Amino acid sequence: MMIPLEIRGALAAIVTSAFILVATFAASGIYRTQITTQAEAGSKALAGENLAATGRRFFFQSCAHCHGQDADGGEDAPSLLKLQISGAHMALVIQRGIKDEMPSFAKKYDQHDTAALVAYLMTLH
Amino acid sequence: MIPWDKLHGAMTHFPIALLLFSTACDFVSVTFRKLSFARELRIVSFYGLAAAALASLGAVISGIALTKGDLWGRGYFAWHHRFVWPAFGLLMALAVWRLVVRDGMSRAGLCVYLVLMLLASGLIAAAGYFGGEILLSGGSVP
Repeated sequence: MMIPLEIRGALAAIVTSAFILVATFAASGIYRTQITTQAEAGSKALAGENLAATGRRFFFQSCAHCHGQDADGGEDAPSLLKLQISGAHMALVIQRGIKDEMPSFAKKYDQHDTAALVAYLMTLH
Repeated sequence: MIPWDKLHGAMTHFPIALLLFSTACDFVSVTFRKLSFARELRIVSFYGLAAAALASLGAVISGIALTKGDLWGRGYFAWHHRFVWPAFGLLMALAVWRLVVRDGMSRAGLCVYLVLMLLASGLIAAAGYFGGEILLSGGSVP
């Protein structure tokens, strides 16, 4: 029995689309696991001192001025108490800043310092 | 260090623009069948769709690198991803279907195809909108 071209096309489309999505999710999962492992290894260096406590110190040095002592926002900066973003994205914003709104702290805080800052921000949830 | 945020921002515009353009070309060619360049519009829409599908791979890869493999997230991120993944899957499926069928589609097939193109365009536009919201909010809660 001859299967119509459109049906064959639809089957090929569904199979290809499903394959690409599954491959994307699988590759992403592997990548995420790898990143998490690396991050855990990096954070062990700071394990001696309390990560969040260090982050708190950095917060009062650089963030509290705009975001408020209690991190609940200031005149020109939003509250950090209800951030709904991942730690990785928080680190990205701290490192890169937000154009015309928040400076980059990449020069001031390296990856370990940023991880400490993120750890402190996570305690504010 | 690769600036994935800038790269993702640059790459996402191609699949969005190309898919919307392809959909528009399809609708114009179907609505105005008697236009002298209706057939050429169908060819343009085919290549536009193929280019959108290819460009979406770059956008997805840069996005995954940017979020460090976080496929869902919270807040605007979750909304962005709610639209991105169906749009990506549908875009790939439509491109493959069109590649296989070419001009051999029936009237019913064409109708289904146009409806799905419209749906994919809506999904990708919504994904782009929430992507912009992530950028403007700096990731904070709406």
